[in-house]
Amino acid sequence: MLTQEQKTQFSELLEELGQTLDISPNEYAAAVKSYGAVGTQLSKEGSLLAPYKPEILPQGSFMLGTMIKPVNETDDLDIDLVCQLVGKNPLWTQYDLKQKVGDQLKENGVYRPMIEPEGRRCWTLRYSDSANYHMDILPAIVDSGYRMILEKAFSAQELDELDDLAIRITDRKRSDYRIEKLHLLWLKSNPFGYGRWFFSRASLDVMKAFSINESIKPVPDYQRDKLPLQRVVQILKRHRDLMFKGDENKPISIIITTLAAKAYNKETTVLEALQNVIERMTDYIEERFDPATGKLIKWVTNPVNSEENFADKWVEVFEKQENFYKWIYSVREDVRHALDQKDRGLHYVMESLKSPFGEKAVTKAFSNYGEKQLELRESGGMKMAGLTGMVGSSGRTHIRQHTNFGRLKDE
Amino acid sequence: MSRSISLISQEGALKSYFPDSDIRRKYDTEIRWTSIVTPTPLSATYTLHLHYKAGDGAKVYVLSPKPLALAKGKARLPHVYNHQEQRLCLYYPMDREWNPGMYYVHTLIPWACEWLMHYELWVGSGNWQGGGIEHDEDEAEG
Repeated sequence: MLTQEQKTQFSELLEELGQTLDISPNEYAAAVKSYGAVGTQLSKEGSLLAPYKPEILPQGSFMLGTMIKPVNETDDLDIDLVCQLVGKNPLWTQYDLKQKVGDQLKENGVYRPMIEPEGRRCWTLRYSDSANYHMDILPAIVDSGYRMILEKAFSAQELDELDDLAIRITDRKRSDYRIEKLHLLWLKSNPFGYGRWFFSRASLDVMKAFSINESIKPVPDYQRDKLPLQRVVQILKRHRDLMFKGDENKPISIIITTLAAKAYNKETTVLEALQNVIERMTDYIEERFDPATGKLIKWVTNPVNSEENFADKWVEVFEKQENFYKWIYSVREDVRHALDQKDRGLHYVMESLKSPFGEKAVTKAFSNYGEKQLELRESGGMKMAGLTGMVGSSGRTHIRQHTNFGRLKDE
Repeated sequence: MSRSISLISQEGALKSYFPDSDIRRKYDTEIRWTSIVTPTPLSATYTLHLHYKAGDGAKVYVLSPKPLALAKGKARLPHVYNHQEQRLCLYYPMDREWNPGMYYVHTLIPWACEWLMHYELWVGSGNWQGGGIEHDEDEAEG
């Protein structure tokens, strides 16, 4: 068992790790600027879309604040965006909307070469090497007044009528793709309802400074301070990225995020949140009878659409299911091993975290921690306790300023 | 410079902070203090030794573990007077950051515990984040 002080210190170190994995304010600002420019292109005066006031909003991890840097710095960040139109020309089918959004992007010489071959529901823009990200743009239709409903839902304390936040999207695989003009009959998706649900799971009353309202603004402010659940999701995703590299059957982020959010119990420190989440997240994988196969299948329910199984691919590709369980067992083992280093020193803790979370990230996190300790002493806030000689923000005597002197050779 | 604190007062302060430590004093001329410390909650334990002798100044050593592990690729400890003896450099002698008018428990000992924390971080990362000056010329010792 760890003492309270050990838990606190471990949490501080995990918080540092989370900060290291997070995208930087500059990367964030660059991405926001890029998708803002996409929005401008789509709503340009004279464009066929302009009357419907297209707006680009972040969804997915960018909205949830659970983005992490790719393991290799040269790899791309994925940014999921919704291109939202308020109503549409009544004659447009799903196909028409998708093409109009694509055409409006291609009209711009900058975007034309960046557009990837058409996806099932999205258009993807691949930015140049210097930008290192690609954007998945999901064309969608909402009804008038949606913006108000969205803002109301994100400022209310209570979680109700998340279904009202659903948007309608196009899907090339549907048989009515080229014929259905009534958008209320198109495929429903609810990324903002999911976001609202996630923040209701993540929020802590003690963190008043954080406003979830920010996350649904077209240009949300960078959140430096993250909630414990957001940090836990970042840490778990990093572990997944390192364990599976580019394996297409790796556990997907939406399953990790959903199960973590379901298991999270408002723990106020990152360590306690992580310990609870990894022990309990598998409890939220349900089993349902599948009439098609006559078998019980694993089911990870979409919290805003109980008919949607985020783990639906596990049926077709059993390796995906196996990989999920392999991964969570490995996370539990790695966290246990790191905690076992508790009386051996910070260097042992660091060593134990390097392989599961990356040598560079862990080294950076611990260096930042060391820098903060120096700042604490320099600001006069560091103390030493009696009996143990433990240094930190509490203790018996303040630590005076001094300059570690050093010989490069013995005297 | 402030007046020297008598060794009997230093001994009293050491006992108060570290009741389990081993303290040996010779009149007002020499004192040796040995204690186990744990510099941070997740840290290992270390045996620190402080030796003051009139005219010779105060010296602080890490007695155990010996030898202390080094960071990958490093041949010696950071901020030590003597690598073999594991004698720590805790203050800049030229600036008179320490003098016998200061209590060990307010200065040298917390500095040593802080050194140990940064030492552990250094072993893991190879970066010394504890601040200070590194020099290879001889300087007067405080």
